Amino acid sequence: MANYHPNHELLMQFAAGQLSNALGIMVACHIENCEECRAVTQNYEHLGGDILESLETIELSPDFISRTLSKLAEDAKSPEPASAAPPVVDARLPKPLQRFLPNTLESLPWSGISSSIQQFDLTISDRQYTARFYKIKAGKELPQHTHKGNEYTMVMDGAFSDESGSYHKGDFILADTSTHHQPKAHADCDCICFAVMDAPLKFTGFWGRMLNPFMR
Amino acid sequence: MTQVASETSFQMDDLIVRIAETQDQQAFSELVELAAPRMKAYAIRCGAGVDDAEELVQECLLTVWRKAHQFNPKAARSTTWLYTIIRNRRIDMGRKNKLDIVQSDDLWPEGETDLLEDDVERDLTGKLVRTLLHSLPDEQRQIVFKVYFEGKSHSEIAGELDLPLGTIKSRLRLAMKKLDTLAKEQVSWLTIILIMNF
Ligand SMILES: [Zn+2]
Repeated sequence: MANYHPNHELLMQFAAGQLSNALGIMVACHIENCEECRAVTQNYEHLGGDILESLETIELSPDFISRTLSKLAEDAKSPEPASAAPPVVDARLPKPLQRFLPNTLESLPWSGISSSIQQFDLTISDRQYTARFYKIKAGKELPQHTHKGNEYTMVMDGAFSDESGSYHKGDFILADTSTHHQPKAHADCDCICFAVMDAPLKFTGFWGRMLNPFMR
Repeated sequence: MTQVASETSFQMDDLIVRIAETQDQQAFSELVELAAPRMKAYAIRCGAGVDDAEELVQECLLTVWRKAHQFNPKAARSTTWLYTIIRNRRIDMGRKNKLDIVQSDDLWPEGETDLLEDDVERDLTGKLVRTLLHSLPDEQRQIVFKVYFEGKSHSEIAGELDLPLGTIKSRLRLAMKKLDTLAKEQVSWLTIILIMNF
Protein backbone atom coordinates (compact mmCIF):
# COMPACT_ATOMS: atom_id res chain seq x y z
CA MET A 1 0.00 0.00 0.00
CA ALA A 2 1.47 3.32 -1.06
CA ASN A 3 2.21 6.04 1.48
CA TYR A 4 2.87 8.86 -1.00
CA HIS A 5 0.18 9.82 -3.49
CA PRO A 6 -0.36 12.12 -6.49
CA ASN A 7 -1.98 15.40 -5.42
CA HIS A 8 -5.63 16.06 -6.17
CA GLU A 9 -4.89 18.51 -8.95
CA LEU A 10 -3.15 15.70 -10.84
CA LEU A 11 -5.97 13.25 -10.12
CA MET A 12 -8.52 15.76 -11.40
CA GLN A 13 -6.49 16.36 -14.57
CA PHE A 14 -6.21 12.60 -15.00
CA ALA A 15 -9.99 12.10 -14.67
CA ALA A 16 -10.43 14.97 -17.12
CA GLY A 17 -8.25 13.07 -19.63
CA GLN A 18 -5.90 16.02 -19.78
CA LEU A 19 -2.55 14.66 -18.62
CA SER A 20 0.09 14.25 -21.28
CA ASN A 21 1.35 10.79 -22.28
CA ALA A 22 3.98 9.90 -19.72
CA LEU A 23 2.44 11.59 -16.72
CA GLY A 24 -0.93 10.00 -17.48
CA ILE A 25 0.69 6.57 -17.57
CA MET A 26 2.39 7.21 -14.25
CA VAL A 27 -0.83 8.23 -12.53
CA ALA A 28 -2.57 5.20 -14.07
CA CYS A 29 0.19 2.97 -12.65
CA HIS A 30 -0.28 4.38 -9.18
CA ILE A 31 -4.05 4.13 -9.29
CA GLU A 32 -3.94 0.48 -10.32
CA ASN A 33 -2.83 -0.44 -6.83
CA CYS A 34 -4.10 2.48 -4.76
CA GLU A 35 -7.75 2.17 -3.77
CA GLU A 36 -7.75 5.57 -2.15
CA CYS A 37 -6.66 7.46 -5.26
CA ARG A 38 -8.90 5.30 -7.42
CA ALA A 39 -11.90 6.40 -5.36
CA VAL A 40 -10.88 10.06 -5.65
CA THR A 41 -10.48 9.68 -9.41
CA GLN A 42 -13.94 8.12 -9.65
CA ASN A 43 -15.39 11.12 -7.87
CA TYR A 44 -13.75 13.36 -10.43
CA GLU A 45 -15.26 11.17 -13.15
CA HIS A 46 -18.67 11.73 -11.59
CA LEU A 47 -17.89 15.41 -11.71
CA GLY A 48 -17.08 14.98 -15.40
CA GLY A 49 -20.50 13.34 -15.83
CA ASP A 50 -22.12 16.26 -14.04
CA ILE A 51 -20.31 18.71 -16.28
CA LEU A 52 -21.44 16.84 -19.38
CA GLU A 53 -25.01 16.83 -18.10
CA SER A 54 -24.96 20.53 -17.30
CA LEU A 55 -23.75 21.73 -20.72
CA GLU A 56 -25.98 23.81 -22.94
CA THR A 57 -27.03 21.56 -25.78
CA ILE A 58 -25.76 22.22 -29.32
CA GLU A 59 -28.00 21.19 -32.16
CA LEU A 60 -26.76 18.46 -34.48
CA SER A 61 -26.85 18.46 -38.26
CA PRO A 62 -30.34 17.50 -39.47
CA ASP A 63 -29.16 14.20 -40.93
CA PHE A 64 -27.05 13.23 -37.90
CA ILE A 65 -29.40 10.56 -36.57
CA SER A 66 -29.96 8.93 -39.95
CA ARG A 67 -26.22 8.94 -40.68
CA THR A 68 -25.54 7.38 -37.30
CA LEU A 69 -28.19 4.71 -37.80
CA SER A 70 -26.82 3.72 -41.18
CA LYS A 71 -23.30 3.56 -39.73
CA LEU A 72 -24.74 1.28 -37.08
CA ALA A 73 -26.16 -1.05 -39.74
CA GLU A 74 -22.81 -1.02 -41.55
CA ASP A 75 -20.92 -1.89 -38.35
CA ALA A 76 -23.30 -4.76 -37.63
CA LYS A 77 -22.24 -6.39 -40.91
CA SER A 78 -18.54 -6.19 -40.15
CA PRO A 79 -17.95 -6.67 -36.44
CA GLU A 80 -14.81 -5.09 -35.07
CA PRO A 81 -12.00 -7.62 -34.71
CA ALA A 82 -11.15 -8.16 -31.08
CA SER A 83 -7.88 -6.42 -30.35
CA ALA A 84 -5.25 -8.74 -28.95
CA ALA A 85 -4.12 -8.07 -25.40
CA PRO A 86 -0.51 -6.83 -25.29
CA PRO A 87 1.99 -9.51 -24.25
CA VAL A 88 2.90 -9.49 -20.59
CA VAL A 89 6.64 -8.93 -20.40
CA ASP A 90 6.95 -8.66 -16.65
CA ALA A 91 3.95 -9.45 -14.46
CA ARG A 92 5.36 -7.35 -11.64
CA LEU A 93 4.91 -4.18 -13.68
CA PRO A 94 1.65 -2.21 -13.57
CA LYS A 95 -0.60 -2.91 -16.54
CA PRO A 96 -0.46 0.61 -18.05
CA LEU A 97 3.28 0.21 -18.61
CA GLN A 98 3.36 -3.35 -19.94
CA ARG A 99 3.02 -2.36 -23.57
CA PHE A 100 5.90 0.11 -23.47
CA LEU A 101 8.64 -2.14 -22.07
CA PRO A 102 10.54 -4.51 -24.34
CA ASN A 103 11.70 -6.80 -21.56
CA THR A 104 11.68 -7.74 -17.89
CA LEU A 105 13.14 -5.22 -15.46
CA GLU A 106 16.36 -7.22 -15.15
CA SER A 107 16.89 -7.58 -18.90
CA LEU A 108 16.16 -4.01 -19.99
CA PRO A 109 18.96 -2.49 -22.09
CA TRP A 110 20.15 -0.34 -19.22
CA SER A 111 22.80 2.23 -19.96
CA GLY A 112 25.20 3.42 -17.35
CA ILE A 113 25.42 6.92 -15.95
CA SER A 114 27.78 5.76 -13.24
CA SER A 115 28.51 2.47 -11.50
CA SER A 116 25.75 3.11 -9.01
CA ILE A 117 23.01 4.37 -11.32
CA GLN A 118 21.72 3.25 -14.71
CA GLN A 119 18.89 4.42 -16.92
CA PHE A 120 16.51 3.26 -19.62
CA ASP A 121 14.56 5.74 -21.76
CA LEU A 122 10.91 4.97 -22.43
CA THR A 123 9.24 5.53 -25.80
CA ILE A 124 6.38 7.46 -24.22
CA SER A 125 8.44 10.62 -23.81
CA ASP A 126 6.87 13.61 -25.52
CA ARG A 127 7.60 17.25 -26.12
CA GLN A 128 6.64 18.20 -22.61
CA TYR A 129 7.93 15.28 -20.56
CA THR A 130 10.82 12.83 -20.65
CA ALA A 131 10.06 9.39 -19.25
CA ARG A 132 12.71 6.97 -18.07
CA PHE A 133 13.53 4.20 -15.66
CA TYR A 134 16.36 4.57 -13.16
CA LYS A 135 18.09 1.75 -11.37
CA ILE A 136 20.04 2.61 -8.24
CA LYS A 137 22.29 -0.21 -7.07
CA ALA A 138 21.47 -1.64 -3.64
CA GLY A 139 22.93 0.51 -0.86
CA LYS A 140 24.26 3.19 -3.25
CA GLU A 141 23.70 6.90 -2.84
CA LEU A 142 23.26 9.55 -5.52
CA PRO A 143 25.18 12.81 -5.31
CA GLN A 144 23.28 15.70 -3.74
CA HIS A 145 21.20 17.38 -6.45
CA THR A 146 18.23 19.54 -7.27
CA HIS A 147 15.86 19.66 -10.25
CA LYS A 148 15.48 22.06 -13.14
CA GLY A 149 11.74 21.56 -13.31
CA ASN A 150 9.22 19.15 -11.89
CA GLU A 151 10.21 15.54 -11.55
CA TYR A 152 7.64 12.86 -10.75
CA THR A 153 8.96 9.55 -9.49
CA MET A 154 7.24 6.27 -8.83
CA VAL A 155 9.01 3.36 -7.13
CA MET A 156 8.63 0.18 -9.19
CA ASP A 157 10.84 -2.17 -7.21
CA GLY A 158 13.00 -1.96 -4.10
CA ALA A 159 13.05 1.19 -1.99
CA PHE A 160 15.02 4.39 -1.43
CA SER A 161 15.26 7.09 1.19
CA ASP A 162 16.18 10.76 1.29
CA GLU A 163 16.09 13.43 3.98
CA SER A 164 12.30 13.68 3.85
CA GLY A 165 11.27 10.06 3.85
CA SER A 166 11.48 6.46 2.85
CA TYR A 167 9.81 5.38 -0.39
CA HIS A 168 8.56 1.96 -1.35
CA LYS A 169 6.88 0.21 -4.27
CA GLY A 170 3.91 2.22 -5.54
CA ASP A 171 4.88 5.48 -3.85
CA PHE A 172 4.42 8.60 -5.99
CA ILE A 173 6.82 11.45 -5.28
CA LEU A 174 7.05 14.97 -6.70
CA ALA A 175 10.38 16.78 -6.58
CA ASP A 176 10.75 20.36 -7.87
CA THR A 177 13.29 23.14 -7.98
CA SER A 178 13.03 23.56 -4.20
CA THR A 179 13.96 19.92 -3.55
CA HIS A 180 17.60 19.29 -2.69
CA HIS A 181 18.11 15.66 -1.95
CA GLN A 182 20.47 12.75 -1.88
CA PRO A 183 18.47 9.57 -2.52
CA LYS A 184 19.93 6.30 -1.28
CA ALA A 185 18.73 2.83 -2.29
CA HIS A 186 18.00 0.47 0.57
CA ALA A 187 20.65 -2.16 1.11
CA ASP A 188 18.64 -5.30 0.40
CA CYS A 189 18.02 -4.87 -3.34
CA ASP A 190 18.42 -2.57 -6.35
CA CYS A 191 15.85 0.21 -6.49
CA ILE A 192 14.03 0.74 -9.79
CA CYS A 193 12.11 3.97 -10.31
CA PHE A 194 9.90 5.29 -13.09
CA ALA A 195 10.60 9.01 -13.51
CA VAL A 196 8.87 11.68 -15.58
CA MET A 197 10.61 15.03 -15.97
CA ASP A 198 9.70 18.35 -17.51
CA ALA A 199 11.65 18.37 -20.74
CA PRO A 200 13.83 21.45 -21.31
CA LEU A 201 11.58 22.64 -24.12
CA LYS A 202 8.12 23.48 -22.95
CA PHE A 203 5.32 24.14 -25.38
CA THR A 204 2.33 25.81 -23.90
CA GLY A 205 -1.03 26.99 -25.14
CA PHE A 206 -3.80 24.96 -26.65
CA TRP A 207 -2.25 24.27 -30.05
CA GLY A 208 1.13 23.42 -28.61
CA ARG A 209 -0.16 20.43 -26.74
CA MET A 210 0.92 17.01 -27.92
CA LEU A 211 -2.23 15.63 -26.40
CA ASN A 212 -4.59 17.68 -28.51
CA PRO A 213 -6.34 15.10 -30.68
CA PHE A 214 -7.93 17.67 -32.98
CA MET A 215 -4.63 18.75 -34.45
CA ARG A 216 -4.27 16.44 -37.42
CA MET B 1 -32.67 22.88 -13.94
CA THR B 2 -30.79 20.36 -11.81
CA GLN B 3 -33.99 18.37 -11.46
CA VAL B 4 -34.52 18.24 -15.22
CA ALA B 5 -30.94 17.23 -15.84
CA SER B 6 -31.04 14.34 -13.39
CA GLU B 7 -34.31 13.07 -14.87
CA THR B 8 -32.47 12.97 -18.18
CA SER B 9 -29.84 10.84 -16.52
CA PHE B 10 -32.37 8.26 -15.29
CA GLN B 11 -34.11 8.23 -18.65
CA MET B 12 -30.78 7.50 -20.28
CA ASP B 13 -30.09 4.68 -17.79
CA ASP B 14 -33.25 2.93 -18.99
CA LEU B 15 -32.51 3.52 -22.66
CA ILE B 16 -29.02 2.02 -22.40
CA VAL B 17 -30.40 -1.02 -20.58
CA ARG B 18 -33.00 -1.48 -23.35
CA ILE B 19 -30.25 -1.26 -25.97
CA ALA B 20 -28.26 -3.91 -24.12
CA GLU B 21 -31.17 -6.28 -23.62
CA THR B 22 -32.98 -6.12 -26.95
CA GLN B 23 -30.77 -4.13 -29.36
CA ASP B 24 -33.67 -1.70 -29.45
CA GLN B 25 -33.08 0.81 -32.28
CA GLN B 26 -35.92 3.02 -31.07
CA ALA B 27 -34.20 3.29 -27.67
CA PHE B 28 -30.97 4.10 -29.48
CA SER B 29 -32.58 6.95 -31.43
CA GLU B 30 -34.07 8.37 -28.22
CA LEU B 31 -30.69 8.17 -26.53
CA VAL B 32 -29.07 9.98 -29.46
CA GLU B 33 -31.62 12.78 -29.12
CA LEU B 34 -30.99 13.15 -25.39
CA ALA B 35 -27.25 12.66 -25.21
CA ALA B 36 -25.76 13.75 -28.53
CA PRO B 37 -26.39 17.52 -28.26
CA ARG B 38 -24.57 17.62 -24.90
CA MET B 39 -21.76 15.42 -26.18
CA LYS B 40 -21.33 17.76 -29.12
CA ALA B 41 -21.13 20.69 -26.72
CA TYR B 42 -18.41 18.85 -24.78
CA ALA B 43 -16.40 18.21 -27.96
CA ILE B 44 -16.65 21.84 -29.02
CA ARG B 45 -15.69 23.11 -25.57
CA CYS B 46 -12.63 20.84 -25.86
CA GLY B 47 -11.59 22.63 -29.04
CA ALA B 48 -13.09 20.52 -31.82
CA GLY B 49 -14.45 22.04 -35.01
CA VAL B 50 -18.06 21.22 -35.93
CA ASP B 51 -17.19 18.28 -38.22
CA ASP B 52 -14.71 16.72 -35.81
CA ALA B 53 -17.20 17.17 -33.00
CA GLU B 54 -19.95 15.30 -34.85
CA GLU B 55 -17.53 12.56 -35.87
CA LEU B 56 -16.45 12.16 -32.25
CA VAL B 57 -20.06 12.05 -31.02
CA GLN B 58 -20.95 9.49 -33.67
CA GLU B 59 -18.05 7.25 -32.70
CA CYS B 60 -19.08 7.48 -29.06
CA LEU B 61 -22.67 6.53 -29.87
CA LEU B 62 -21.51 3.49 -31.84
CA THR B 63 -19.37 2.55 -28.83
CA VAL B 64 -22.43 2.92 -26.61
CA TRP B 65 -24.32 0.52 -28.89
CA ARG B 66 -21.51 -2.05 -28.82
CA LYS B 67 -20.78 -1.79 -25.12
CA ALA B 68 -24.27 -1.24 -23.74
CA HIS B 69 -24.11 -4.68 -22.09
CA GLN B 70 -21.19 -3.42 -20.00
CA PHE B 71 -23.25 -0.62 -18.54
CA ASN B 72 -24.44 -1.51 -15.07
CA PRO B 73 -26.99 1.01 -13.80
CA LYS B 74 -26.32 -0.26 -10.27
CA ALA B 75 -22.65 0.60 -10.61
CA ALA B 76 -22.61 3.96 -12.39
CA ARG B 77 -24.86 6.70 -13.64
CA SER B 78 -25.31 6.92 -17.38
CA THR B 79 -23.88 10.44 -17.46
CA THR B 80 -20.65 9.29 -15.82
CA TRP B 81 -20.46 6.31 -18.15
CA LEU B 82 -21.04 8.49 -21.23
CA TYR B 83 -18.50 10.96 -19.94
CA THR B 84 -15.78 8.31 -19.68
CA ILE B 85 -16.61 7.11 -23.20
CA ILE B 86 -16.35 10.55 -24.79
CA ARG B 87 -13.24 11.44 -22.77
CA ASN B 88 -11.51 8.26 -23.93
CA ARG B 89 -12.60 8.64 -27.56
CA ARG B 90 -11.41 12.24 -27.57
CA ILE B 91 -7.98 11.08 -26.44
CA ASP B 92 -7.84 8.36 -29.09
CA MET B 93 -9.22 10.34 -32.00
CA GLY B 94 -6.60 10.67 -34.69
CA ARG B 95 -4.04 8.47 -32.99
CA LYS B 96 -5.34 5.07 -33.97
CA ASN B 97 -2.64 2.66 -35.07
CA LYS B 98 0.10 4.78 -33.58
CA LEU B 99 1.21 2.08 -31.24
CA ASP B 100 3.96 3.97 -29.51
CA ILE B 101 1.54 6.63 -28.33
CA VAL B 102 -0.47 6.35 -25.18
CA GLN B 103 -4.11 5.47 -25.78
CA SER B 104 -7.07 5.51 -23.46
CA ASP B 105 -6.93 1.72 -22.99
CA ASP B 106 -3.49 2.17 -21.47
CA LEU B 107 -4.76 4.74 -19.01
CA TRP B 108 -8.02 3.00 -18.13
CA PRO B 109 -7.62 -0.74 -18.75
CA GLU B 110 -11.08 -2.22 -19.23
CA GLY B 111 -12.89 -4.58 -16.94
CA GLU B 112 -11.38 -3.36 -13.73
CA THR B 113 -14.28 -1.78 -11.97
CA ASP B 114 -14.45 -2.14 -8.27
CA LEU B 115 -18.01 -3.31 -7.99
CA LEU B 116 -18.61 -2.85 -4.31
CA GLU B 117 -17.18 0.62 -4.33
CA ASP B 118 -19.19 1.56 -7.39
CA ASP B 119 -22.39 0.21 -5.87
CA VAL B 120 -21.77 2.47 -2.95
CA GLU B 121 -21.18 5.50 -5.09
CA ARG B 122 -24.22 4.82 -7.19
CA ASP B 123 -26.53 4.76 -4.17
CA LEU B 124 -25.01 7.94 -2.95
CA THR B 125 -24.97 9.86 -6.15
CA GLY B 126 -28.48 8.70 -7.00
CA LYS B 127 -30.27 9.22 -3.73
CA LEU B 128 -28.37 11.49 -1.43
CA VAL B 129 -26.40 14.04 -3.30
CA ARG B 130 -27.45 16.26 -6.11
CA THR B 131 -24.72 17.27 -8.37
CA LEU B 132 -21.36 18.14 -6.99
CA LEU B 133 -20.98 20.70 -9.69
CA HIS B 134 -23.93 22.86 -8.75
CA SER B 135 -22.66 23.24 -5.23
CA LEU B 136 -19.68 25.23 -6.48
CA PRO B 137 -19.71 29.03 -6.74
CA ASP B 138 -19.34 30.38 -10.29
CA GLU B 139 -15.74 31.50 -9.93
CA GLN B 140 -14.66 28.03 -8.83
CA ARG B 141 -16.76 26.29 -11.46
CA GLN B 142 -15.15 28.38 -14.19
CA ILE B 143 -11.71 27.09 -13.20
CA VAL B 144 -12.86 23.48 -12.96
CA PHE B 145 -14.26 23.84 -16.52
CA LYS B 146 -10.89 25.02 -17.76
CA VAL B 147 -9.24 21.93 -16.31
CA TYR B 148 -11.81 19.56 -17.85
CA PHE B 149 -12.14 21.14 -21.28
CA GLU B 150 -8.83 22.79 -21.94
CA GLY B 151 -6.37 20.90 -19.76
CA LYS B 152 -5.10 24.23 -18.53
CA SER B 153 -2.54 24.44 -15.77
CA HIS B 154 -2.89 26.86 -12.90
CA SER B 155 -0.50 29.36 -14.37
CA GLU B 156 -2.15 29.32 -17.80
CA ILE B 157 -5.56 29.92 -16.22
CA ALA B 158 -4.13 32.78 -14.19
CA GLY B 159 -2.75 34.41 -17.35
CA GLU B 160 -6.00 34.02 -19.21
CA LEU B 161 -8.23 35.39 -16.47
CA ASP B 162 -5.66 38.04 -15.61
CA LEU B 163 -5.62 37.01 -11.96
CA PRO B 164 -2.73 36.29 -9.61
CA LEU B 165 -1.57 32.65 -9.61
CA GLY B 166 -2.27 32.44 -5.88
CA THR B 167 -5.93 33.31 -6.44
CA ILE B 168 -6.35 30.52 -8.99
CA LYS B 169 -4.62 28.04 -6.76
CA SER B 170 -6.73 28.88 -3.77
CA ARG B 171 -9.98 28.83 -5.78
CA LEU B 172 -9.18 25.44 -7.22
CA ARG B 173 -8.10 24.19 -3.81
CA LEU B 174 -11.41 25.40 -2.34
CA ALA B 175 -13.35 23.74 -5.14
CA MET B 176 -11.53 20.45 -4.67
CA LYS B 177 -11.92 20.60 -0.91
CA LYS B 178 -15.63 21.11 -1.28
CA LEU B 179 -15.90 18.19 -3.69
CA ASP B 180 -13.90 15.95 -1.37
CA THR B 181 -16.00 16.95 1.62
CA LEU B 182 -19.14 16.12 -0.33
CA ALA B 183 -17.65 12.77 -1.29
CA LYS B 184 -16.80 12.02 2.33
CA GLU B 185 -20.25 13.08 3.50
CA GLN B 186 -21.66 10.60 1.04
CA VAL B 187 -19.61 7.87 2.65
CA SER B 188 -20.78 8.69 6.17
CA TRP B 189 -24.38 8.81 4.99
CA LEU B 190 -23.91 5.43 3.42
CA THR B 191 -22.58 4.01 6.65
CA ILE B 192 -25.72 5.17 8.42
CA ILE B 193 -27.94 3.60 5.77
CA LEU B 194 -26.05 0.34 5.95
CA ILE B 195 -26.39 0.24 9.72
CA MET B 196 -30.12 0.83 9.48
CA ASN B 197 -30.59 -1.85 6.85
CA PHE B 198 -28.62 -4.68 8.41
ZN1 LIG C 1 -2.67 6.86 -3.98
